[in-house]
Amino acid sequence: MAVASVQPSQVLEPDVDDVTKSDKPWIVIVWNDPINLMSYVTFVFQKLFGYSLEKATELMLDVHHKGRAVVSNGSRERAEFDVYRLHEHGLWATMEHETL
Amino acid sequence: MGNDGARDIVKINKGPVTRTKTGNYKLVLPKDHCEVLTHLITELRDSLLNTTDDASLRRLFPTAYHNDAIKDAEYQRLMRDELLASRLASIETALEVIGASNELSESEIDAFARSINSLRLVIGTTLDIAESDHGDLSIESRQLNSPETESDKEKIIQNDLYDYLGWLLEWTVSAQSEGL
Repeated sequence: MAVASVQPSQVLEPDVDDVTKSDKPWIVIVWNDPINLMSYVTFVFQKLFGYSLEKATELMLDVHHKGRAVVSNGSRERAEFDVYRLHEHGLWATMEHETL
Repeated sequence: MGNDGARDIVKINKGPVTRTKTGNYKLVLPKDHCEVLTHLITELRDSLLNTTDDASLRRLFPTAYHNDAIKDAEYQRLMRDELLASRLASIETALEVIGASNELSESEIDAFARSINSLRLVIGTTLDIAESDHGDLSIESRQLNSPETESDKEKIIQNDLYDYLGWLLEWTVSAQSEGL
């Protein structure tokens, strides 16, 4: 028995860049600023993300010495939520797609 | 980030904010401190109700998407009012608890801390605080020991307020950290 062969005349290939980009998680970055107290920043990291004092201090020191630190990642909605909470606490936070 | 070298001193003495055995907080400030704080926080509330675009308030409404202006505009459209409402709610709570004799709940001390920090951000922005200013503000204030202009005098006052708010926030964070 012959099998009918159906071939589409045109195949729409997804934009590989778009797929790759949308699949990447978002990262939330806290930037160094000269005003926020180091102890306050550490406390906010502990409170919002449940980090241990050691982890929160490590992230705070990264912000202080390296200028920035990634404090969380996930979906765009999750990242926006985290950015909002950090802004509520006066921290300078932004988000971007994670670069692989 | 701002230096908190005063923390060691803070730990030695009993300060204005303490955590109670029941998990609440006590905020005890002299009457004149309460008056100054109430005045400053009321001014901040009035400024926020008037506009959120003033340059001195820019740290209270940061960019969310630093490398995508279109996404950031959309984020600001959706979230800026919510952030403003959150700040105003914290400020109202702070105004209620300053000078109050009762113990403060976790959410009340949190609102107080965020309002104090908002004030610091605004004053620090006005003073154009830089990383190199750590710990030097008081010294700089004293170096203006012969202020000739109203601007000099105002800067001395702003520097002292900035230091004071840092001291108060240190105590608050120290007490809150006991509850983590």
